[in-house]
Amino acid sequence: MTERTLTPILDVRNVCKSFGKVYALEDVSLKIFPSEIVGVVGENGAGKTTLMKSLVGIHVPEKGEWYDKGVKAAFPKDPKDAAKKGISIVYQERGVVPSLQVYQFLFLGNEEKYVGAFGLQIPRMKKAAQEIIDEFHIKCDIEDFMFELPLSTQKMVEIARAVVNIRLEQNKQDADSVIILDEPTAPLNIEERHELLNEIVRLKANCSFVFVTHIMQEVMEYMDRVIVLRDGRQVGEYDMATNKVTENELVRMILGKDIDGQEKIQRIPSRVDNSETVLSSKELSKRGSYYNISFDLSKGECLGVLGSAGSGKSELIETIAGINGYDEGDLLIRGKSTKNHELPYARLKKGVGYFSGEIANELFYDWPITKNISILNIEKIVTKIFHFLNFKTEKTLAADISKQLRIKTPNVNITVSSLSGGNKQKVTVGKWLEKKPDILLLEDPTIGIDVGAREDIYETILNMKEQGISMILVSDDPKEYSALCDRVLMMQQGKAQKIISKEELKEVLQT
Amino acid sequence: MSLSNNNEKMSIGRFISETVASPTRIPFVVVIAVILIFQLMNPTFLSYQGLVTLVYSMSYFLIAACGLTFVVMMGSFDFSSISVMKFSALLCVLYIDDFGLWIIPITLLCCAIIGFVSGFLVAKLGVPSFMATLGISIVVDGISLLMSKGFLHLMEHEGFRSISTTFIAGIPSVFHWSIAIWVLCAVLAATTPFGRRTYAIGGNARAAVLSGINLDSQRIQVFMLSGLLAGAAGVFYMSQLGGGSVEIGGQMMIPLFASVVAGGTSLRGGTGGPQNTLLGVIIITWIQSGLRMMGTGMETQMVILGLIAIGMSIATTDRNKFRRVIVK
Repeated sequence: MTERTLTPILDVRNVCKSFGKVYALEDVSLKIFPSEIVGVVGENGAGKTTLMKSLVGIHVPEKGEWYDKGVKAAFPKDPKDAAKKGISIVYQERGVVPSLQVYQFLFLGNEEKYVGAFGLQIPRMKKAAQEIIDEFHIKCDIEDFMFELPLSTQKMVEIARAVVNIRLEQNKQDADSVIILDEPTAPLNIEERHELLNEIVRLKANCSFVFVTHIMQEVMEYMDRVIVLRDGRQVGEYDMATNKVTENELVRMILGKDIDGQEKIQRIPSRVDNSETVLSSKELSKRGSYYNISFDLSKGECLGVLGSAGSGKSELIETIAGINGYDEGDLLIRGKSTKNHELPYARLKKGVGYFSGEIANELFYDWPITKNISILNIEKIVTKIFHFLNFKTEKTLAADISKQLRIKTPNVNITVSSLSGGNKQKVTVGKWLEKKPDILLLEDPTIGIDVGAREDIYETILNMKEQGISMILVSDDPKEYSALCDRVLMMQQGKAQKIISKEELKEVLQT
Repeated sequence: MSLSNNNEKMSIGRFISETVASPTRIPFVVVIAVILIFQLMNPTFLSYQGLVTLVYSMSYFLIAACGLTFVVMMGSFDFSSISVMKFSALLCVLYIDDFGLWIIPITLLCCAIIGFVSGFLVAKLGVPSFMATLGISIVVDGISLLMSKGFLHLMEHEGFRSISTTFIAGIPSVFHWSIAIWVLCAVLAATTPFGRRTYAIGGNARAAVLSGINLDSQRIQVFMLSGLLAGAAGVFYMSQLGGGSVEIGGQMMIPLFASVVAGGTSLRGGTGGPQNTLLGVIIITWIQSGLRMMGTGMETQMVILGLIAIGMSIATTDRNKFRRVIVK
């Protein structure tokens, strides 16, 4: 292909944007040519989101030039103006209206284009929608409700909607469009992820993409070009076709330093005490989710439960956490039978904690770090008499944790909503670090955070394991299993296949 | 001269804009404005007699509002507070001859049980608190009507009446009681695990569950506390007024909510607290009494109170947060 000689669809140069005295973007330039996928990578807080928001008119940069086919033009004022210039964005989450049908959702906000003398011209809308669904090869019916579709298909409809938006705004069927995708794969599991990415590659014929992601594998396999941001500056640009860059080089560029984390993690010993079984599952079954699952968990061991979506791994870990019940079998904690439908607070009293990487389930956004850490450890901060809260102990506790985990914050009274993604995640790990349950259930512990913070969190988890805490891990990232687990239970369609050792896992992952 | 004048304007402008930007400062400003406006329109507003009236009107209301605040902090509604208060007042007046002052603990127990039922409906049966407590309020109203048969009943027990009407330091004792209860509630909310758990449920219920909070039990406890305090408000109401029928408290449920919100406890839950509710109660009840002192008609009072309720929720909502949700 000879796109390089073509004029770029999007051409911005030397964009600067500051918030107060801090530069969020400094001299960042970006060109997007027709039919390409450009990855934008960087740590949390590197300026990716600010750049994207500047492109669609949510932020207006202080400096910078915008060229429209070589002619200098103004930056877009708002998302509608951006659509006129051929740029639209698909946000990471909350973009879908679940209660609408596909054709209704496609034209949401543009209904006035389909108004006739007798109100909305539904047949005309449906016809137009069908054409778009066919053009984008989306596997759904135009009358399906959005909530009925798999997440990856929902994303596809969102992408189609962004393109439709641009076309209607420009009133041109063949409008050049750039679609910005902000971490589109974050809520998806492995299969959905590959499906979506393959679809996007196919869509290159219709439009170009700017693709914000934390997942290096996606960059390596699917992007045409990648731009690396660090501290608001553009530190690298690689053409993936001509410039053979390795994953490690890319990570080094993102962090601005070598990752020593890997080695540090491997140096933490695993102290599994096989003589002491802390949790055992005996023929545990939940109809429609998993069947006859049996395993024993030893003290200080991390057992991974590996399987694709629908294998029942999430339901299994939620049963152990007390979020949902089981139908048959028995769950023993320290040799004692548990009641079915015991709630999380009851399981926590028996020493079973559940930690999910979904910070929305873990954090109180309006609360400072102190309260977020102490809510799980309330018994440690009450006074001996009358059980009042001791604010001094609470503060020391939070200060200790944030020092141990290197949480970047001026003080512990900062509300967690103002922290970066990686630091938020550290706060959630921090409260469990203080709690020290006997068994910690981990579900996607590092979802949505960047490489640097991820290594820190692995280190903390492994240190907790070394102190004798047993763990069960469920994740969508296969690398997480090799980093954390001693043994892995393979699941498929609700049934346990076999339990394999760490060494065997490496072979499985390589093939 | 003109320069300094200019500066002053600037600082006033900044004060106004800062006040609008920080919802926590608004209740103070409104309280001062209410006092100034009524004092100007009616010089007897802050006279001794006026103050006694104001104190009487706010005290029992403050107790019920404190109970409601805990429920609102938790992100739920309790529409039964006023009905429970009414029920408690009637229970006292009807059975004081049989039980003497023992009627007070009996009444409080009954009201806590009503709170327990609301809590049980919400926590264990999953009925939305809006519907559950609205239903309970109608049931309780019916029982009150059955008990009182719609008649006005007079409280003739002197000991019971003296609980509220003894003057200490020139102020009726009901004020001291209500302030004491308010302080206890504020301490409970701010410095105990119970208070922290209540905020947690209002802030993020799922995170609260995963943090080992027994959601059901905590919710039931909070509804019981609300019932108990509504009951206490009824006891003080009866001992202060010395009589009542099923008509008492007519349209008070919305002003009660308004006073909680006006203080700065958002209906979304997780913020505010009983410590804030005092100012909200002062705003709402003092406006009400101020209008009544000037002889404003009931219909005008209703219009003004409704507008104030809406205005205060606009003023105390943190719209920066709201905007953030919309933009991203």
